[in-house]
Amino acid sequence: MAIAKAERLMNLALCLLGTRRPLSKRELRGSIEAYLEAGSDDAFNRMFERDKDDLRELGLIIETVENLDGDTGYLARRDSNRLPPITLDAEEAAALGLAAKVWQQARLAGAASGALQKLRAAGMPEAEDAYEVHSALEPRIPVHEAAFEPLMLACRDRRPVTFDYRKANAARPEQRQVEPWTLECWRGHWYLAGWDRDRGAERVFRLSRITGRVRSRAGAFTVEVPDVVTVRETVESWAGETATRTARIRLRAGAGYPLRSRAISVRELGDGWDELEIPYGHGLDAWLVEFGPDVVVQEPADLRADVVDRLRAVAKD
Amino acid sequence: MATNAIDQTRRMLSLVTYLRERPGAHVQDVARAFGISEDELISDLDVLPMCGTSFRGGDLLDIDTDGDRIWWHNPDDVAEPLRLAADEATALLVAARAVATLPGLRESDRQALLRATAKLETAAGEVGAASSRLSVTFESEGGVFADVDRAISERRRLWLRYYSPARDELTEREVDPIRLFAVGHTYMEAWCRSSEDRRTFRLDRVAEIRLLDEPAAPPELELRDLSEGLVQPAAEDPEVVVEVGPGGRWVAEYYPHDSAQELSDGGLRIILRTPDPASLRRLALRLGGEGRIVSPPELARSARQAARAALAAYDEPA
Repeated sequence: MAIAKAERLMNLALCLLGTRRPLSKRELRGSIEAYLEAGSDDAFNRMFERDKDDLRELGLIIETVENLDGDTGYLARRDSNRLPPITLDAEEAAALGLAAKVWQQARLAGAASGALQKLRAAGMPEAEDAYEVHSALEPRIPVHEAAFEPLMLACRDRRPVTFDYRKANAARPEQRQVEPWTLECWRGHWYLAGWDRDRGAERVFRLSRITGRVRSRAGAFTVEVPDVVTVRETVESWAGETATRTARIRLRAGAGYPLRSRAISVRELGDGWDELEIPYGHGLDAWLVEFGPDVVVQEPADLRADVVDRLRAVAKD
Repeated sequence: MATNAIDQTRRMLSLVTYLRERPGAHVQDVARAFGISEDELISDLDVLPMCGTSFRGGDLLDIDTDGDRIWWHNPDDVAEPLRLAADEATALLVAARAVATLPGLRESDRQALLRATAKLETAAGEVGAASSRLSVTFESEGGVFADVDRAISERRRLWLRYYSPARDELTEREVDPIRLFAVGHTYMEAWCRSSEDRRTFRLDRVAEIRLLDEPAAPPELELRDLSEGLVQPAAEDPEVVVEVGPGGRWVAEYYPHDSAQELSDGGLRIILRTPDPASLRRLALRLGGEGRIVSPPELARSARQAARAALAAYDEPA
């Protein structure tokens, strides 16, 4: 049976951390059984390159040094790989324990537990179960979008990407070329903010509308990443939460609690109806239609017309 | 074994450091400290004796276990605590910052979290910087949250006035809270005394809340596994078929569904299940010209009737 990858990676890590002088590829191959079994030089070289990348993902700083005789050597210096001293008390440890459990995405969940394990190995005290001792809250960060991981890595490494994106009301997806800046999760959905190269402007994308694969592009960003990226404000305006006007509606008594809780004023009309003044932003027409015959729009006229149009579309079927 | 090689390597490196300081450590304790099962730990301990600085020179880690305690017979100083990787720092820092924003979090927990975050940022150094490229905001209704949190810790019953969007009505009920969780919105799972059943309540739909003096007495329940998603329709729930045009594709984003088939006009044919199809009348109305309910026919009919009744109030012909 082939030697398991974890065993091979562990051996490479120990060799590189254990040495005081750079080790050549030949020396490493002679010390690690899995590399001896690798067969051809090509197979070994490919395996070795991949393994080094994997260890770097784990945080190891591996230096490449030219020997006097022109040979390339590798080592992971102790002092550059050591965790700086960190002292956490039991409360802080419990709080981090709670935080580490929120990821529902495999890569980040693995990375968060890995971080805790490193801290634990460095002496972080053990708390009793975080849920029992602390808040009753169980926060979860959902990640269902396939585009998440490649975009997370692209944001991290500042690599341009292309992907197919279908706007909310578009029949066909369209290819976008983006310099990805940040990912933000709001109300359980993930959004990407970045520079849209074709449009020459900052744009926010909803990850669930990305179809197909996210591909990395060669080259660097062409536009400087701003210090502050505002994803929420953009999404809020899509959701119609930036109201610019007010509307006056009649609402059947007892109905439409969410409209009431957002109302600026509520007046009882006495005939089984109330009159409400509510903020009027994008999307209000669709929301009002949900309440069917329990809502009648008074003004403005354009809102009234939009609601009537929508009702007609449903009524005619 | 499901564990991936990267996670296992990461864990074994920390394990070696941890074991050096604790000769004769108990399997049970170490597994708990690392947040893994004893089987996972044993499989790590099977691999470690094959690892070292040279497989020939006898420089392998001499670590063994009798299934109860763990001994490392030739400990050396290769096992120093390792710096955090960029992904590790990001995963923990982003999660910690997100949890710290929860308005309902106890103040002492928030303070602990903020202190820990600051220390972690320092320890992570420059790799921590990439964590600013990811952020998460939880939403939570402060006042309601605090009452639910208190009811859970004091094991007390709650009285609620709760809004049901499916019926567009407020109902009053008494519930025994079980737990709070946040997935996008913040939710309470509780035993509802009125329906004698387990119910999930979204906190931003709680119109009014009061702590009662009665103790909460929820029956012993297996906690639901939330990783499969919040809404888990049952196989026997009736099927609803919705066809939407391009402008109604959002339905597939908001409603958990069994299938969504692409249509030639850029729309979707979505099949979903719900215990109560009548609750989808709102959706049918909201879709307007952007989609229609294909089945059940009663649902399509009730949306049509509601739209006609609404139009009558505008003195508009249907």
